[in-house]
Amino acid sequence: MSEVIKEIVIVGGGTAGWLTAGILAAEHVILDQPDTIKITLVESPTIATIGVGEGTWPSMRETLKTIGVSETEFLKECDASFKQGSHFIGWLHGQNDHYYHPFSLPENYHNTNLANHWLHFSEQVPFDRAVTFQAQLCEQGLAPKQITTPEYSFIGNYGYHLDAGKFSEFIKRHCVEKLGVNHILADVTEIKQADNGDIKSILCDTTTKGSSESYGENYSEGLDKASDKHSNEISGDLFIDCTGNKALLIAQTLNVPFVSQKHVLFNDRALAVQIPYDEGQEINSATNATAQANGWIWDIGLQSRRGVGHVYSSAHCSDETARKTLEDYIAATCNANISELNIRPLSFEPGHRAEFWRNNCLAIGMSAGFIEPLEASAIALIEQSAKYLANQLPKTRTTMNIVAKRFNLKFSQRWGQIIEFLKLHYILTKRSDTKYWRDAASRATLSEEFLEKLQLWQHQCPYNYDSFATEELFPSASYQYVYYGMGGQTERKITAKMQKERQQVNQILQDNQNKTNQLMKVMPSNRALLEKIRTFGLSKV
Amino acid sequence: MSNFVMVNNIDHKDLKIKTKKCAEFGDNLWFSITFPDEFRAVQAHYPIFFQKDGNTGQFAPVALYGFKQDENLFLNDKGWDAGYIPLSVARQPFTIGKQVQAIDGTEQENRVLTLDLDNPRVNTEEGEPLFLEFGGNSDYLDHMASMLEALHLGIESNQDFINCLIDLDLLEPFTLDVQLNDGSKHQMVGFYTINEEKLDALEDDKLAPLVKSGYLKAIHMTMASQGNVSHLLRRKNEQLGLA
Repeated sequence: MSEVIKEIVIVGGGTAGWLTAGILAAEHVILDQPDTIKITLVESPTIATIGVGEGTWPSMRETLKTIGVSETEFLKECDASFKQGSHFIGWLHGQNDHYYHPFSLPENYHNTNLANHWLHFSEQVPFDRAVTFQAQLCEQGLAPKQITTPEYSFIGNYGYHLDAGKFSEFIKRHCVEKLGVNHILADVTEIKQADNGDIKSILCDTTTKGSSESYGENYSEGLDKASDKHSNEISGDLFIDCTGNKALLIAQTLNVPFVSQKHVLFNDRALAVQIPYDEGQEINSATNATAQANGWIWDIGLQSRRGVGHVYSSAHCSDETARKTLEDYIAATCNANISELNIRPLSFEPGHRAEFWRNNCLAIGMSAGFIEPLEASAIALIEQSAKYLANQLPKTRTTMNIVAKRFNLKFSQRWGQIIEFLKLHYILTKRSDTKYWRDAASRATLSEEFLEKLQLWQHQCPYNYDSFATEELFPSASYQYVYYGMGGQTERKITAKMQKERQQVNQILQDNQNKTNQLMKVMPSNRALLEKIRTFGLSKV
Repeated sequence: MSNFVMVNNIDHKDLKIKTKKCAEFGDNLWFSITFPDEFRAVQAHYPIFFQKDGNTGQFAPVALYGFKQDENLFLNDKGWDAGYIPLSVARQPFTIGKQVQAIDGTEQENRVLTLDLDNPRVNTEEGEPLFLEFGGNSDYLDHMASMLEALHLGIESNQDFINCLIDLDLLEPFTLDVQLNDGSKHQMVGFYTINEEKLDALEDDKLAPLVKSGYLKAIHMTMASQGNVSHLLRRKNEQLGLA
């Protein structure tokens, strides 16, 4: 340990560990320079990764570009497909109701609040359809770009559906081969702390060097010497806890308590399964989230298979009932033989740490917290945390405390926002068919701030003034999509400004309609584009 | 619809080809594909840019004839008003087809000359005959055959040329802004050109192979060809009576 922060040790591989390593290394590691920041990732050869979340946000495009991978390679190797948003089915009445939360903002969003105008003809066309072409793209299974669109560019904003296991491997290889991350395969046996509680080093059973042949000579020699000297001890100035549920450092060592959110979002179980496509079946361009009696089912289309799972509340429903619900869903959506499928049970405690950064240890990934994947926030939070760290990486141990304090404040707010936004998906439901939905609609556990917003939105549309922080996780547009998708009511009004902009608004709506019609004609299907990319690749410009 | 057949001197002994260039025969193209070996001839008359194939996303160099779809500013009543017509246009209505033949037990792929019988140029009354009286190839047919061979090899060579440009990161998208004499402005998107700053910054070890392969010359010719945009513009203004 030193006053100057030079050695960063990431404990745990998986999506959190490798993504963090990639983001940090791309910003800080200068290859072939001996006194560069050093990043070491220690990964257990025996503990399997959970592979949380197969959905990302559009932020992943920027992340992948920043760490320097080719989108074509990524799509090919991670079985990835394009995700243009989420599709919520049966959340309002439990029947044929559905709406989209697309990644594209309503047209002209930053200049005009179209929602104000849409309210006046809301019976004629649903909000998502009126304000963006993307709901229709998703509905038709069309891709968000064409084969001529360069890597990471888009016609409709998009993130990805991906195979989390393959994704970790893909990023790992890039980290080790291109970004100079030192990879050690070993099980952690002991954690040594300094007098002030800081983590000094971790002890491992055997330190096998991972796949680390090909980076700078000086660098790997230096590390070899270091590991010889301390044998199985790996010391560092900053430790990142990516050990998943175990929270080996942040909880087991530093005793940061867990804040349960089960009283607000009570889903705490999941059954996950991989399903082969039927012949010629389309690849969904949005995550389908279909409401069930005691939870909901995700349905994600990768290139080679679907990932499906039932998230439910153990307080409202037995594991057997949940399994039956999932099997019914599978039977209704494909020809797969259910007895041949491997349905994996998972359980989790919804919530997060009281602090994410304590002493010289930062928790990223499931060690920091986990919540039902309704808006695919898991990988997005890993990216956000790692980017914050990469950007604000403290130079010295002394200033680390300031950065840690600010990080904790920021990410407490972010968790609060995620929980609030997820709760918005439930709170307006008209379903009362089960105790689950009656409980879900209860306002008893809502924060005062959230209750105030719900009160306010009855009279004014959610808009920019509802955002209090910069870099909000969910823009106010997301609140609009979900609020109006769930049948949220706002009083109609006409203001002088609205009168003046009416002509312009009509033009925007008409343009959106024309654009939608045009795109319906020229956009390839999600599957057709992915197949083309496998053959020809996307160009960088 | 097209109806491509392999040219032979029995079925096609009486066929003639109208060689006039005009819109009715499909010459109202606003660009067509070209290749490095043709750049010297093309750059004397047309701007050369790069474009992605809409079906594959793959880049190819193209010669530009107009500013919008179906507009070929070189076409007039007399035909194609320029000293050189790129091979991808001049070869009409012929193409190269592939024929698989078993020779000594192994399958070999041969290139054969094919003709689109439904092309409006094809007739028996007027134009250039394909065959001589006793079945020999006409000079015209031999000329078309060698033209197609050159085109075929040229398009094949594009692959390596384009890969080289991509590896060196030399292609960049650009928007062509055009202002006509009446002040109206037009924008063309979807074209790519050479990033000259990146070209200038190439290290010697990257530059040497470019010189050796002749690609540097080809790159320079595409850059120089862009001056022809002003000639296109002059033709456009003339056509609109704005000159």
